[in-house]
Amino acid sequence: MSRARRIRAEAVGAWHSFLRRRTAVFFTFFFPVLLVVIFGALVRTQPTGGGLFAEPAAYYVPGYLATVVLFTPLSRVGSEIARHRDDSRFEKLATTPLGRAEWLIAHTLVNIAIIGLASLLILGLVVALTGAVIPLTPRLALLAPFTVAAVVLFCGFGAILGRLSSTQDGVIAASNTIAFPLLFLSDTFVTLDQLPPWFAPLVDLSPLTYFARGVRAVTTGEPATPALGVLAVLAVIFFVAGAYAIPRTD
Amino acid sequence: MNEAVVAADVRKQYGETVALDGVDLSVADGEVFGLIGPNGAGKTTLVRALTGTTAVDGEVSVHGETPTGIDADRIGLLPQSFAPPARLTARELVDYYGGLYDSARDTDDILATVGLENDADSWYETLSGGQQRRVCVGIALVNNPDVLFLDEPTTGIDPAGRRSLWSVLEGLAEGGTTIFLTSHSMAEVERLADRVGLLQDGRLVAVGSPAELIDSHGGGSRLVIETDDSSAAADALAAEGFEATAEPTTVVIAGVSPVDIGDAVAALSAADVGYESLTWTEPSLEDVYLQLTGETFEGAATPGGSVVAEQTAGDASATQAGTVSQDSAGSQDSTAPQDGTAQEGAR
Repeated sequence: MSRARRIRAEAVGAWHSFLRRRTAVFFTFFFPVLLVVIFGALVRTQPTGGGLFAEPAAYYVPGYLATVVLFTPLSRVGSEIARHRDDSRFEKLATTPLGRAEWLIAHTLVNIAIIGLASLLILGLVVALTGAVIPLTPRLALLAPFTVAAVVLFCGFGAILGRLSSTQDGVIAASNTIAFPLLFLSDTFVTLDQLPPWFAPLVDLSPLTYFARGVRAVTTGEPATPALGVLAVLAVIFFVAGAYAIPRTD
Repeated sequence: MNEAVVAADVRKQYGETVALDGVDLSVADGEVFGLIGPNGAGKTTLVRALTGTTAVDGEVSVHGETPTGIDADRIGLLPQSFAPPARLTARELVDYYGGLYDSARDTDDILATVGLENDADSWYETLSGGQQRRVCVGIALVNNPDVLFLDEPTTGIDPAGRRSLWSVLEGLAEGGTTIFLTSHSMAEVERLADRVGLLQDGRLVAVGSPAELIDSHGGGSRLVIETDDSSAAADALAAEGFEATAEPTTVVIAGVSPVDIGDAVAALSAADVGYESLTWTEPSLEDVYLQLTGETFEGAATPGGSVVAEQTAGDASATQAGTVSQDSAGSQDSTAPQDGTAQEGAR
């Protein structure tokens, strides 16, 4: 009960803080919407044209979702840690009963809520603007655990970035540097056959690949993959590492 | 009395910089301990050492436990540069930090304690600097701690707000809370602290009650007479048994009691020596600070820090210096003396 109370207090504070930063709220939702509009509605998919966006529209659903699942936790958790450090908040929290893992759970829950809402918005837009066909089957419910697992994973990753970067600017720069290659080289927007053969094994090293493949299987009705299991294991590893990375002392 | 906080041979080094150099310290249960010292002396590092937020060599205990081992409900901390989330209201911030403890004080009670009832629903970022600091102090009180560490709690707070917070801290001390505070305000520690420690270059160079430190290191009281004829004034005063020292435009009498000021004035009148003003000062904690740290106050008019002491008294509580002007027929023209003795003497 005590732990739940602490996590709730931290999460409520973080949630209110986020909602009151209007620019953060706007761009959290606007960025993926912009991508859907540009690539899904303006560029459009060209199934017979070759090159980028040559697959059916539904193929790119994981890519659009990845824009929030990947970027938001990396930058939000990372910069939140930098902000906490700058303002001596961790020094204060270190003298309270709140543990590092509890702090990260609270902020992960906030990210899950934000990203869950953004994902619903993206799915709706993709269907409405690109004509993507997503079969409404019970398996579609698996989108939730895929999203949760990926958010947990990247929140842990963001915590590590926050620990390693000394400033908020540094966190943003580092998260962008990491996220952009991952976004395009994780079986999301660029198909494997468009990459050099020697690069294909590297795609398997990206955690985002398992999110993309799993979500694609769910949204296109392809056979189930072990992606969720892999993603869950990676999520646990990154979360533990992230919790450990959160500063407690100077 | 039980020891609430103990530090034994505490050492901390950042690269080549020695932040703490073998600090030994104990704070009794229920005591208010004030830590003073120049910037960079190691005050914040010592607070961090005592709260377990930095690793140090040596032994530290709070109520017999390590700072990281003690029940977090028992300690409260206000870090020096602490700033909570800016877009939460004062009420939400107190709720938030209170929610981190199993048992927390009532939010409205905390807000009333720090005088923020009327601004409770304003975002932290819209509050004045002083109000923000009061929110931070309130946050440090949410768990009703046994030991409260406050690192420069009144920085940025206006005089009225500062006095209000002093009252809060005095109330906590009366209730038995052990308080360890750092400050650059001598008036603050002189008013609040049972004992004061002076930290310099990572070493605790003096510890004692404010009165003890002043007696040991503050020097004696002084009467400074501003006059155009200092040698005649010195002679007249010497004839009455005063140990007066003539300087170009002043005469200084060391070790003079306030009740003797009247005799000094009478001696000057009898010798028909005019004077512009009389300023009586007694040593303050700031004199102790300046004496022990070797720091000087640029613009001090006389050696020994009488000007500094006078300003300190004015800043502190107007209790330690009195200035009277002959032209004003004995009425005070600047700082208010402790109990009117200086004016009485001058009259």
